[in-house]
Amino acid sequence: MTDDSADQERRNRFDRVVAVLHKDLYRYATWLSRDPGVAEEVVQEALLRAWKSLDALREDNAAKSWLLTIVRRENARYFERKRLETVDIDSLTPGQAALLAETEDPNLDAMREAIFRLDDDYREPLVLQVLMGHSTEEIAELMGLKQGAVLTRLHRARIKLRDEVHKEAAA
Amino acid sequence: MDCKDYKEAIAADPSGSIAGGAEHIAGCESCRAFRDEMQALDASILGALNIDVPALNIPELPAISQDDNVVSMPVRQRPRFTTPAWIGIAASFALAAIIGLQLVGNRTSTDEQMLAAQVLAHLDHEPWALKVTDVAVSDERYNRVINPSVGTMDRDVGLVSYAQSCIINGHRIPHLVIQGQYGPVTLLLMPDETVHGAVPISGESVKGVILPHGDGSIAIIGEREERIEELGKRVTDAVEWTI
Repeated sequence: MTDDSADQERRNRFDRVVAVLHKDLYRYATWLSRDPGVAEEVVQEALLRAWKSLDALREDNAAKSWLLTIVRRENARYFERKRLETVDIDSLTPGQAALLAETEDPNLDAMREAIFRLDDDYREPLVLQVLMGHSTEEIAELMGLKQGAVLTRLHRARIKLRDEVHKEAAA
Repeated sequence: MDCKDYKEAIAADPSGSIAGGAEHIAGCESCRAFRDEMQALDASILGALNIDVPALNIPELPAISQDDNVVSMPVRQRPRFTTPAWIGIAASFALAAIIGLQLVGNRTSTDEQMLAAQVLAHLDHEPWALKVTDVAVSDERYNRVINPSVGTMDRDVGLVSYAQSCIINGHRIPHLVIQGQYGPVTLLLMPDETVHGAVPISGESVKGVILPHGDGSIAIIGEREERIEELGKRVTDAVEWTI
């Protein structure tokens, strides 16, 4: 195989993997950072890093975990670099405000805001389970936790969300 | 199973199956209602998480240079191998090692080149290990992985964020990750692998070294900016073989 065709094959593989997983990566990054603007930056950096180390991905069917791990690391780097403070719901960035922009469905809005307010420790495993379809074992591996700790966080996350939504409905 | 256990389990995974759960809800209306509530909640959570995604915008991708000092990790198209296939895979690692590491120079023997290639190839087996975190592994896990019959490592060497028993070259070894100055640093403690001098390792986004240590060796791989030499001294000072 010539260098050119090898490069093209590499690029094709990258495009293929990214096309399939792009939405997952963006949504994961958005709910990690709670800011679609930050998520776009994080995903761009993650794609660049993934491109540079694509040869480390041995099997395309492992791409999702591999890329989510890279996004997770890039998100941590981003917040380390920027030293961002905890978000106050009353002083949202334009990106955060866009994430919480009202839709025609007040129940959807209430749930989105409740998820936004969840602590990172609760929000991340919930996103990985509900949106990414990860098992608790996979979440434990990705987050470096014991499976029991993941189950506890998932249980508490749902109870918090339920209570928040009930409170909102009663108000 | 009582109601408390059932509710905790179903709230942790409303779509999962719970051992003994079906029998419990058959006779418990309250838990049945709770399960329905959690499943409805999950549908609502999923709807909320499913935000619109902007059009895919791939950044400008740099050309990947064929730097002489870079070892390309072998791309494996086959399914994950099992122990009986090890010998065949080792041959492909050997080929990658020879192609890749000979470019680094002729300072190392073929065996050492093979070991370096295996170490590098191992990094992508557990990608979730390489994360920036301030959470250390539990003492229980640490002590399970660092088997005192093989060796000990002083935990002051750094925050150990990952510990797993892995197989390198047919030997079960401790695979650890500590938090370095520029990101996670992988340590592979290999009491059975002898090297005769420092064996450099260079990947596309990482660098490292295998250092001789007693009758064995220790691989240390981190981000390119990481001061591996300094870390190497700390790690070799901290590790003591008991065999």
